[in-house]
Amino acid sequence: MIVFYRLPFLVLALGVAADARAVGIADLLAERLKSVVMVEFTIQTEIERRQVFVSGAVTDTQGTIIIPGSHILPGYTPEQLKDFKVYGPNTDRSESAIYLGQDSLTGFHFIRMEDARKIAGLVPITAYPISAVPQLGEELWGIGMRGKDEDFAPYVLSSRIAMLARLPNHTALTGQDIGAPGLPVFNLAGEFAGLTLSPFGRDFLLFSRNQHGTPVMLLNAEESSVVLLAREFLPFLERVPRNTAGRPVTWMGIYGLQPVDPDVAKLLRLEGRTGLVVSDIKEGSPAAQAGLRDRDIVLAIDGEPLPRLKPDRVVVGYFGQEILKRQPGEKMKLTVLRGSDQQEFDVVLADEPKMVREAERRFFDRLGFTAREFLVADSILHRALAEEQGGAVVHFLKPNGPAATAGLRPDDWIREIDGAPITSYLDAVDKLAAMESDARRAEFVLLTSRGGETQVLRIKLN
Amino acid sequence: MRPSILLRAIVGIVCLVAVQPAGAAVSRGFSQLLDAVVRIDVREMTFDEGTQRFERGIGSGVIIEKDGLILTNAHVVSPRAVEISVTLSSLERVSASLVGWDHWTDLAVLRLNLDEIKSRKLTFAHAEFGDSEDIYPGQTVYAVGTPHGLTRTVTRGIISNHQRYFEDSRAVRGYETGSFNTWLQTDAAINPGNSGGPLVTENGKVIGINSRSYMGADNLGFAIPSGVARRVAETLVREGRITRSYLGLRPRSLQDLERFYELAVNTGLLVESVDLSSPAAKAGLRPGDIVLSLNGAKLDGRFPEQLPPIQNIIASLPIGSEVGLEVKRGTQTVQLRAETEKLESRVGEEWAFEKWGLSVRMVSRAYARENQLPDASGALVIGVQQGYPAAQSGVARGDIISKMGGETIDDLGRLKKLYTNYEANPEAVLVEAQRNRRIALHVFKP
Repeated sequence: MIVFYRLPFLVLALGVAADARAVGIADLLAERLKSVVMVEFTIQTEIERRQVFVSGAVTDTQGTIIIPGSHILPGYTPEQLKDFKVYGPNTDRSESAIYLGQDSLTGFHFIRMEDARKIAGLVPITAYPISAVPQLGEELWGIGMRGKDEDFAPYVLSSRIAMLARLPNHTALTGQDIGAPGLPVFNLAGEFAGLTLSPFGRDFLLFSRNQHGTPVMLLNAEESSVVLLAREFLPFLERVPRNTAGRPVTWMGIYGLQPVDPDVAKLLRLEGRTGLVVSDIKEGSPAAQAGLRDRDIVLAIDGEPLPRLKPDRVVVGYFGQEILKRQPGEKMKLTVLRGSDQQEFDVVLADEPKMVREAERRFFDRLGFTAREFLVADSILHRALAEEQGGAVVHFLKPNGPAATAGLRPDDWIREIDGAPITSYLDAVDKLAAMESDARRAEFVLLTSRGGETQVLRIKLN
Repeated sequence: MRPSILLRAIVGIVCLVAVQPAGAAVSRGFSQLLDAVVRIDVREMTFDEGTQRFERGIGSGVIIEKDGLILTNAHVVSPRAVEISVTLSSLERVSASLVGWDHWTDLAVLRLNLDEIKSRKLTFAHAEFGDSEDIYPGQTVYAVGTPHGLTRTVTRGIISNHQRYFEDSRAVRGYETGSFNTWLQTDAAINPGNSGGPLVTENGKVIGINSRSYMGADNLGFAIPSGVARRVAETLVREGRITRSYLGLRPRSLQDLERFYELAVNTGLLVESVDLSSPAAKAGLRPGDIVLSLNGAKLDGRFPEQLPPIQNIIASLPIGSEVGLEVKRGTQTVQLRAETEKLESRVGEEWAFEKWGLSVRMVSRAYARENQLPDASGALVIGVQQGYPAAQSGVARGDIISKMGGETIDDLGRLKKLYTNYEANPEAVLVEAQRNRRIALHVFKP
């Protein structure tokens, strides 16, 4: 709220002083507001509807709009994301839009406005001149938007670049918050400098009557100082998903990569080089088929040594992006240190096995939970043996419903229903559906597995 | 002085005139009991912060034999104790040694230093056991101890329940307890400080060893029944330890599930879970099975308090003995044979390597199973000291050190040998540590 009261006065003060620079920004802003929107949509869960507002940027003349990935938690199916509406700044009129999907590499969600005639007034962010790579200390300005009750009134933020970093994308960090995540940032000449991303937390010490300097991390829910630079960002606009599932999602089946720190590198005679320790390989995955093993240390991709990025963990993100930039079926050659030998492996990448957002699921209202099909991700969580994988897991529990009361928890793996072993997801759903529709049924018994131990749960129906 | 554990107590000698059991004159038995209650001061070694430290604790105990045997709680005196000092009712202090401990029943047995007693011409009384099988809810009982440091405190109450089920996987200083016995529950006030002291009848017979209470509740105290305490004490004196058998089945009370499993009431033991690669798993036992009989003896696990005695039947079998299980599975009845293994705690051996600033606890089979680790090797980091090589390298509490200098860490001896080498010749050593199945490499630098 502090921001809200401070900003109008700031803009006003600049205007009164007739500062040439401020007038410049005001003129530039009027044009650039045609590129920013507020997107409203509904997340439909088993028992409720949640309204969400997120800011977004217009990326082309067909009315395509981009939203940062963190605005929508993973795990929702595309069908659960409903009623997309787009508002311009300073208006309460909205236009409907459809959800296009999430890009696996960047995490950006894409939506598109439905009515072409309404798009005329919008200007894509590609329409503005592109800033050269900004310099340290350069002043930038960005945009924030107020809530629905204020007709999404826009406001201006400005700050200087405090730091430039590869995380692993080229990113500028400004001294103060520069804009709402998802909205563009410009330089004083009005050139497009980049897109604001979700904020990093900031460390503070909390003093109060009974707390003395307790460290806390604060996250600004409305604005951020993290800017993805334009030259890195613009190619991402080509990645409009071909389907709402965001397929293909290129996959190697390699898990738990850990960076090798400089001390370890020195001891392994890898001085000055970057390495990633492989913790786990999914059986049957491209990495397993290529012969990679846990404890291998990845040094290079296609003969190109892994870059030296700081902090060390950023290299893990770099490696993940290198996989996602490629297509399923493409080859990726990894140079690996195994023991004291360097070896090379050709990995033929594949499309990732079914993800949570694609998984079959069904909500049983009377039983009080959602059963979801067992996925590769679940086999990792449950450390399941290859021969026993499959069936159904608990995805959602109705609070205080029969299943929750009996002690069932999310991610529990259903092994038996009424003493009969579960052979597949469909088998589980058939049995549960029969139970749900049988009004005379007073109780049933589940055998579930959690953390390698099983539980017998007696679920009483009203 | 730091009374570090919840229910450690100073139990002193109780002023006789202060005690008027049930309004009557003090019985001879009761006054003899009061002379047998001691205070126990313990200095023990801890390995928590990447270094070996000494910690002090205080508890209570009761002398149970002419030859100076003392019964107390396992959470008062453990094998970590390096100095045990006992204050007799005469206020004289005498040293004592640990005879043995058993965290499963939260009991430990000490022996007074009789040479010291003799040379200083000291005397002491010993208490007599009552029969914990004979007691009944509503019976008047007394707890003797030093709650919150208030010595010579006798509290009075009744037996609230004589078969309380209470099982916890880490209640006795991280060790498991309560799987093989039920507890006496009393409303005689038991507070932090009463631990190890006796719960007695009006005539001074020991029917329980006070052990725990619900903090914040009103007078919900628990004691180990004297029947259990006697048997455990006898074995500890004879063998120095209690060895138990393990099958790897986790029971659950059937309560209301008889109809589902089509059982007559008071029949069978429901198997809730079977430990991976345990004797029960190898025998083919499955979760959801009903064990009808064990070596021909019928089982009845209908209510929770019936489970510890059944678990105790299994635990009391000799290690490596064949167990015949009659199991109902669906509509079938199958006969299974399992061979028992030695029961292990989840808590492995602990040590501190001071120059690394690293405290470890070896991964036990039980810990590996509990955490779904592929095998029972490695050293769990239980503490690091800031500024020392382990902490500097990024190793943190909760990591499992699986390899060091190319060697697999499968026992504490190997780690100690590597440490000795490091002490003699401090040079950088490569360490592989795992956390949540992530493998990370670190370097301990001198």
